[in-house]
Amino acid sequence: MLKFERWLEVYGPSYLDGLGWTAVVALVAAVAAIAWGTALLAVRLQGGRWGGRAVDAYVQLLRNIPVLVPIYIIYFGFPLIGLVWPAVVCGGLALVLQNGAYISEIFRGAYQAIDHVQFDSAKSIGLSHWHTFRKVTMPQVIVYSLPALGNQVVLLLKDTSLLSAITVAELTMHAKLLTEQTGAAYEAFVVVAVLYLALVGVFEVAFGLAGRAVRWP
Amino acid sequence: MTSWPMFVSTVTLLARGALVSLWLAAASTAAGTVLAVLLMAPAFSRIGLGRSAYRVFVWVVRGTPVLVQALLIFYALPALDLQTGPYIAGVIVLTLYLGALIAEVIRGGVLAIPRPQWDSARSLGLPPIALLRRVVAPLVIRYSLPAYVNVCVMAVKASSVLSIISVWELTFAAREIIERTLAVFSVLGLAAGFYFVMCFGIDRLGRRVEARLALRGFAGGRA
Amino acid sequence: MRSTLRRLAGSLAVLVLLLSTLATAVAQEKSRLDIVLERGKLIVAALSPTPPFAFTDDKGQLVGFDIDIAHLVAEALFKDPSKVEFVVVNSEGRWPAIESGRADMGVGGTTTYPDRAIRVAFTRPFIDSGISILVTKKSGIKSLADLNNEKNTVANLNNPQMADRAKKFFPKAKVLTFDTPSAEFLAVQSGRANALQIDTAVAEYFANTSKDQFDVLPQMLTPSQNNGIFMKPGDFKWWLFLDTTVGELRSGSWYPKYVEVYQKWFGKNPPPQKFYVPQ
Repeated sequence: MLKFERWLEVYGPSYLDGLGWTAVVALVAAVAAIAWGTALLAVRLQGGRWGGRAVDAYVQLLRNIPVLVPIYIIYFGFPLIGLVWPAVVCGGLALVLQNGAYISEIFRGAYQAIDHVQFDSAKSIGLSHWHTFRKVTMPQVIVYSLPALGNQVVLLLKDTSLLSAITVAELTMHAKLLTEQTGAAYEAFVVVAVLYLALVGVFEVAFGLAGRAVRWP
Repeated sequence: MTSWPMFVSTVTLLARGALVSLWLAAASTAAGTVLAVLLMAPAFSRIGLGRSAYRVFVWVVRGTPVLVQALLIFYALPALDLQTGPYIAGVIVLTLYLGALIAEVIRGGVLAIPRPQWDSARSLGLPPIALLRRVVAPLVIRYSLPAYVNVCVMAVKASSVLSIISVWELTFAAREIIERTLAVFSVLGLAAGFYFVMCFGIDRLGRRVEARLALRGFAGGRA
Repeated sequence: MRSTLRRLAGSLAVLVLLLSTLATAVAQEKSRLDIVLERGKLIVAALSPTPPFAFTDDKGQLVGFDIDIAHLVAEALFKDPSKVEFVVVNSEGRWPAIESGRADMGVGGTTTYPDRAIRVAFTRPFIDSGISILVTKKSGIKSLADLNNEKNTVANLNNPQMADRAKKFFPKAKVLTFDTPSAEFLAVQSGRANALQIDTAVAEYFANTSKDQFDVLPQMLTPSQNNGIFMKPGDFKWWLFLDTTVGELRSGSWYPKYVEVYQKWFGKNPPPQKFYVPQ
């Protein structure tokens, strides 16, 4: 049953291909989700009452539906209104929209932890809202959110496996195809599980290092 | 939706699917909670091996996507020759996943009990079971309730992953309908609506329970 | 000396006891046929949605030609066609459902291929099949040669046979892989793909939903193929029962029932039961 060496020899390259896709999609989506979360935070801070309410509604909506639903809506639905994007883009967009919502909440928590005296001092030296946001608020928000941010990025990484449902050739999809071809479901999926654990480990270490880098100036 | 009868049949199917998703979530949360409580023994055991086994279990279950765990259990366990239907298999998958999450929540709750409380509880001289029942459990429940409610919401969302393995629940029902009728936005919008009502409802219910159970100034209650 | 003899006798006795229990265990290993008869219900894995072979109607009921064949098998077993429970699977879930024992047999537009026969056993065919290409009229594709062009995107099912045919017949076109035929069709309808590869009967069913939008290419990618019931290999008694039932449906005592089901789903008569028997 467990003929792993033979298995890895023959199918290793196929796994590496899937691994590459998973890592790239996760990285790009993570960066985009952080950017989107930042934008949502900006809207919340500068948008007055309605800005805050709008972001709240958006966050509540995306937190309470499974991420598969926006994935399917974008992948199956957008072509009906003329937008035929590649599966990777559709899936990535859904991941960004969902994780951006969570990240904006993480940022909100971090923002509330910042000493608001700083904003008064920033105003008193004539910094504009935008300038304050860029140079005073966001750097601190990011530093305070690093642990929770790392957690969220790991969740995003795991959610990339759902993209196999819309034909993206990432790790899980490769495992499914291998199972279909060879019937060796156990070997196929155990190797994939190990690869995910390894990827998660890499991301966690990266965030841990980033955390240490900003804590000890 | 091009006609009223079609709309009614769609909503009926989706509602049935939503009930299945809710049942899957509820059954696996209950079983997961039992599993999590049982896992507290190795988690806090004096034997290093017990604690490592717990940590490895949680690390594996939280480090791999639910879909991969589901595929592994659905496709790769012929050795067990379990003639279980897809629903039981789905509950097994979710139970393992939620069990690990809830175990961490409960463990966090136990660790959140301030040291002075432990000392005063022990100084009371209560036997261990009474200690657990009268001191530890009420505190842990109140400390972990917000995170536990969060896991309950995650349970409903995780049930949608089972659709990829053809388990008939809300997301699968929605996919069947859109593959038949092409009404992607309306059907998935309705499905999203059902999920929202379920998840948001659980969250609100959870808050009410938290407020009821809160011991002012002592445990529970939100900042 | 005597104690050694006694010890030898003792171990021999234990060995004989073990072997006999093993023998009875082996002899008692049941055929799936007996298990099903005892259970009183047939469990069938259905590749759905694969219209018209197996799909859900708008009440959520599983219907289709293959579904009705499964009901006939239940009738043969229990004299009651309703004693069936269906487990819906997708293209890659078909085989594990059978191999794990979760289902007794499988249906759903599944074609018999030699490399599949390594993992699952097939009955003789209960319907002929073949693989065709469905195209959108908009795409202007009129032949396989037209299809073989980078501008085209073809939706495939995720099995190796389809992948091989894609490489053989339209290597230049882009290929998207899905896990059910109706997902392939959704991709074509929404514009993600402009052609799909699937069993001829399924392609014709899809094309009939909107004759002015879709066409089935006249050229088939394969010769006439066999769709059969599949099951876990190694169980001769179960295979013999299913294969006999299919044989009787197609050319023997149950041919009238077969004609009825065939007419219901294809609107025409099936092939004659024997070439020398007048219709």
